[in-house]
Amino acid sequence: MAEELKRRKAVPFFNRMFWGKNKDTINPFWVIVNKEIADHIRSWRFVVLITIIALTCFGSMYTAITSIGEALKSGKADDVFIFLKVFTVSDGTLPSYFIFISFLGPLLGIGLGFDVINSEQNRGTLTRVLAQPIPRDYLINAKFLAALIVISVLFLVLSLLVIGAGLIAIGIPPTPEEFIRIFLFTIAAIIYVAFWLNLSIVFSIRFQQPATSALSGIASWLFFTIFYSMIVNVVFNIFIPEGKKLSIAGEQLKLAIQRVAPNQLFSDITTSFLSPSVRSLGPLTMQQMQGAIPGHLPVDQSFTLVWSQIVGLVALSTLCFIVSYVLFMKKEIK
Amino acid sequence: MIARTSVSRMLLSSLMWIITLASLQANEEKIIELYTTNTKISIPPGESVSYSIEVKNNSDEIQFCNLGVYGVPSTWNYSLKSGTYNIRQIAIQPRGKNTISLKVEVPLKVNKGNYRINVKAGTASLPLIVNISKQGSQKTEFTTDQANMEGHSKSDFSFRTKLKNRTGEKQRYSLISKAPRGWQVIFKPNYKQATSVEIEPNSTKDVTIEIKPSRNVNAGTYKIPVRAMTNLSSADLELEVVITGTYEIQLTTPQGLVSTKITAGGEKNMELIVRNTGTAKLENIKLSASKPSGWKAAFEPSGIEILGPGQQRTVNVKLIAGKKAIAGDYVARFTASVPEASSDVSFRVAVKTPAIWGWIGILVIFIALGIVIYLFRKYGRR
Repeated sequence: MAEELKRRKAVPFFNRMFWGKNKDTINPFWVIVNKEIADHIRSWRFVVLITIIALTCFGSMYTAITSIGEALKSGKADDVFIFLKVFTVSDGTLPSYFIFISFLGPLLGIGLGFDVINSEQNRGTLTRVLAQPIPRDYLINAKFLAALIVISVLFLVLSLLVIGAGLIAIGIPPTPEEFIRIFLFTIAAIIYVAFWLNLSIVFSIRFQQPATSALSGIASWLFFTIFYSMIVNVVFNIFIPEGKKLSIAGEQLKLAIQRVAPNQLFSDITTSFLSPSVRSLGPLTMQQMQGAIPGHLPVDQSFTLVWSQIVGLVALSTLCFIVSYVLFMKKEIK
Repeated sequence: MIARTSVSRMLLSSLMWIITLASLQANEEKIIELYTTNTKISIPPGESVSYSIEVKNNSDEIQFCNLGVYGVPSTWNYSLKSGTYNIRQIAIQPRGKNTISLKVEVPLKVNKGNYRINVKAGTASLPLIVNISKQGSQKTEFTTDQANMEGHSKSDFSFRTKLKNRTGEKQRYSLISKAPRGWQVIFKPNYKQATSVEIEPNSTKDVTIEIKPSRNVNAGTYKIPVRAMTNLSSADLELEVVITGTYEIQLTTPQGLVSTKITAGGEKNMELIVRNTGTAKLENIKLSASKPSGWKAAFEPSGIEILGPGQQRTVNVKLIAGKKAIAGDYVARFTASVPEASSDVSFRVAVKTPAIWGWIGILVIFIALGIVIYLFRKYGRR
């Protein structure tokens, strides 16, 4: 007994999370996670997705690097942050890196999540897995975590690659503040993609056919990316008489409604993190602008500025996860 | 008796001879005549007189006359000329006349009064009187029309003076001044800064004297003696500069730090220092703030009654940021002013947004995570 206790103490806490009751066996949860990660990485779908994303990212980075000299001549307050320009500058032929991430990130999330449950169910492997002596929620948690780990590693690697390529191209190392900003942007991108992942997992549990769930995911992505802001604009135009402008309160209301869309939240977050000179994301009154000097915000203030957006995104992700969790736990599995 | 008669006759005849001779003499004198129009001329010392004298021959023969000028003081110069030649003798045709010119140069050092000069030509003579109108001197004159000037301590005082060389020779004057310490006196003869000036005899040169007071000069009247001097003579001039008090005020912070941080809607206490850097007393200093709208600034004290030269006073200012201020930098400018002067200091105020919404956000995330954990508990270990 004393021997056993001693052995347990010697093993750090973190390891106990990974290992099973005996030192020799891995905790079954991590077995599933490992298996799922391996499945993702070996799948053709993942290769296709990653190729698309990597190609577009390098394309945008190329345009950023070729046009960064032009961008630096502008003499604005943001010029202190030369390195952030690698992420934001574009010469107009290709969108910049952060726009690609906000556009293709959801596709990656949907691609990794749309068939996690229903394809296993259709193949009949789900019942076999659940016949094992493991808690049922291990499966859903492990599937979510595996996809999230893949996404996180992918984005961290992409960001580091862009940093490295930028370093070679422009020769100026990022300042600690720039590095923190890039890191925060990467985390935000992961949270954003996690939302789409969770949403597509919900669809994959709800819909029997993988095609249906994939289409639902893509439809909701298209809806929020393209149609939502159009609809909001149209509705507001109906209520606003011709030739009149919205009041400040009206503009704020419109923005608040648009911020229901997760892509709006993410674009707010990226704007604040990657453009330090942005001091406010909403309309400003003249009183607020009076006496203001152009300058850049410190990281903590940029973070505070979009904190509510971050909270919103995290809450949306968590909400989708809760829905998928409840749906999965209550699901009848034959 | 006869002898007496002969003697008397001899006496008579000799008397007659003398009379005849005398009459002959009188006739001879009238043969040559001298004439000029201005016989008494009045001039100041240092100038010269020119006479045009006509010599007239009244006889029927050619007359040769020796010329001479008598009674000219030894220090004076004169010249007697006919045309361009200096002459000592002239010949005049019968019944003719010649013109000669006499130039008398009066030196600077000469006493006031009448001087008689006699011009002689043969037997004729012409008395002339030169009246010296002023007492002459062997001096240098250093004068100015305006020896007094007023201005504040930062102004330049430019005196226009005249330096006149009244000695008989060319002089090289060195120009020196005796100004209080820290003052700057610049001599500018011929509009160029110089320490000496060369002046021809009896001529004048304009010398501009520029005086710059010392930086920390107090209000008052200052006398600046200046002197032009050679080894022989010197001239003094006393210039007077009246410095009026300057009004200067400086507003600053104790450490010179002009940036601060503030939370939107929050307040910040700062110290300002009002300093009188001028030389006059400042009265009724007003403090004001130019700030973004919706902001407030309160000064304690709200104003300063009197601040003497060189004194300083600390003022507390409480700055309250507007509730709607956005994060980032704002500028707030504080001004201390009197009617005569003003000074301001601009603060770069970095606004932070209040953290209350951050805590609400964290609460929201915890609620979401709580639901997840609740679900894990409820469904997890089935």
